[in-house]
Amino acid sequence: MTMAGMTLIDAARALRDGQVSSAELTEECLSRIERLNPSLNAFLTVTADTARAQARQADEERRAGMDRGPLHGIPIAHKDLFCTAGVRTTSGSKLFENHVPHFDAAVVERLREAGAVMLGKTSMHEHAYGITCDNPHFGAVHNPWDLARIPGGSSGGSAAAVAAGLCLMATGSDTGGSIRVPAAYCGVTGLKPTYGVVSKHGVMPLAFSLDHAGPIARTVRDVAVSLAAMAGFDRRDPSSARGRAHGLLQDLLPPPEVASLQGVKIGMAENFYFERLDPDVDNAVHFMAYRAQDLGAELVGLRLPDGAQLNAVSQVTLLVEAAAVHEPYIRKRRKLYGEDVRTLVDMGRVIPGVDYVQAQRLRRRAQVVYRATLKQVDCLLVPTTPVVAPLIGQTEVEIGGRMEDIRMASTRLVRGFNALGLPALSMPAGFTRGGLPIGMQLVGRPFGEKELLRIAAALEDATGHVARRPEMAG
Amino acid sequence: MRDWTAIAAGLKIELGEGAKRTLEGLDKSMLGLRGLIDWQEEPVLQCSALPVEDETE
Repeated sequence: MTMAGMTLIDAARALRDGQVSSAELTEECLSRIERLNPSLNAFLTVTADTARAQARQADEERRAGMDRGPLHGIPIAHKDLFCTAGVRTTSGSKLFENHVPHFDAAVVERLREAGAVMLGKTSMHEHAYGITCDNPHFGAVHNPWDLARIPGGSSGGSAAAVAAGLCLMATGSDTGGSIRVPAAYCGVTGLKPTYGVVSKHGVMPLAFSLDHAGPIARTVRDVAVSLAAMAGFDRRDPSSARGRAHGLLQDLLPPPEVASLQGVKIGMAENFYFERLDPDVDNAVHFMAYRAQDLGAELVGLRLPDGAQLNAVSQVTLLVEAAAVHEPYIRKRRKLYGEDVRTLVDMGRVIPGVDYVQAQRLRRRAQVVYRATLKQVDCLLVPTTPVVAPLIGQTEVEIGGRMEDIRMASTRLVRGFNALGLPALSMPAGFTRGGLPIGMQLVGRPFGEKELLRIAAALEDATGHVARRPEMAG
Repeated sequence: MRDWTAIAAGLKIELGEGAKRTLEGLDKSMLGLRGLIDWQEEPVLQCSALPVEDETE
């Protein structure tokens, strides 16, 4: 049995049934990494020996009757900003090129305890501060659907690795769309959970009040079991959600078939989120909404607070917090920064403190308005990005007759949800006529991941977009 | 509007044209957004780091 085309859930079933061993799955992933990574640059570090040892251990545990759950023996990868004891963790930067942590991030710990096998660390945009993954220090990451295109970022290596079948799941972080944009551009599924659901202990920060950690995998159910392993209160992370929140996160895995969305209300934005889109994106996302309606969901038209205003609030917060995070380094070691990240850090340094404070006041107001809106509907359905994956090196894109900066275009439909802290999942919504994947977001209530995953699973089951894979994935 | 070149120079930072344009755009947005601030509110209610789970109540 080979893992070509297998989802994480398929592999977990095969492992439990004894049709395949973790050692075999791991060898196949390592062999695919060896064959495909030179073209993709999705992995920055491969920990083959550790992976083989962990896989052997998982197989021995299974033979002894131990079952750690659906991730037991599953080969995964970590974005290179999750600290890994004894394994270099660069945050995609020259600054931390030789940084070898002495401890594991909470997410790494939890996934190891769930029995996952770590294949290595994935490439990313420098310091997670950008969406191209055209990294000046470690080279550009390539999109498996078209090697001339970006995978999105900043978790681009993770999304490319999953899409190309180099691993069955990879971790990501999302400060302004960094899980959802690469998930959309690479045709996979990525979830930015509610703020505080997944511990950020040991995650190298970008903007502390916007940073979220979450999983990237092929399917909604793969993401659900991964989140279940990653989530949980952690006293080492001051922003970790306590108590009642985690009661809402039990039994995240949707049933094997979700045939109906009867009784579900889906909010369709009448403003901002469907403005200035590539027509293929517009059609695909509306098609998904109509599929939801066919399944029994009610589509509810909503006017949301101006997304451009929310983006401004989010951007001021990001620029200032990232400047504060980089303050100890940017002055004395600025030559170690790539030009785009250095510029962004400098921009944050000049924004007056009063703007940051007003942004936080406006952010709270927006949170109240969105919370009220999400009492009327179960989730919002909006595109993830207005366009599909741009070419490597492309700086602008024409949308609706207007030129737009690639970075701003790629993040304009996602970054607001970081400021709001709401759970947002990106899943495949179809393909352009040229065969490039299109992504759509479902945005839920705080700690509403379970319902969000159930709705997403119904749509995934009804459309089957995940069955289509890049040619190189075989 | 703010003079971003001068503010940056005060911090011995040189900003490119693209960065200045972005900051000007944000400046305009933030100025416009002042109209949405409730000046009667107690700012500490908005700026304190409330535990996020409280928002589910």
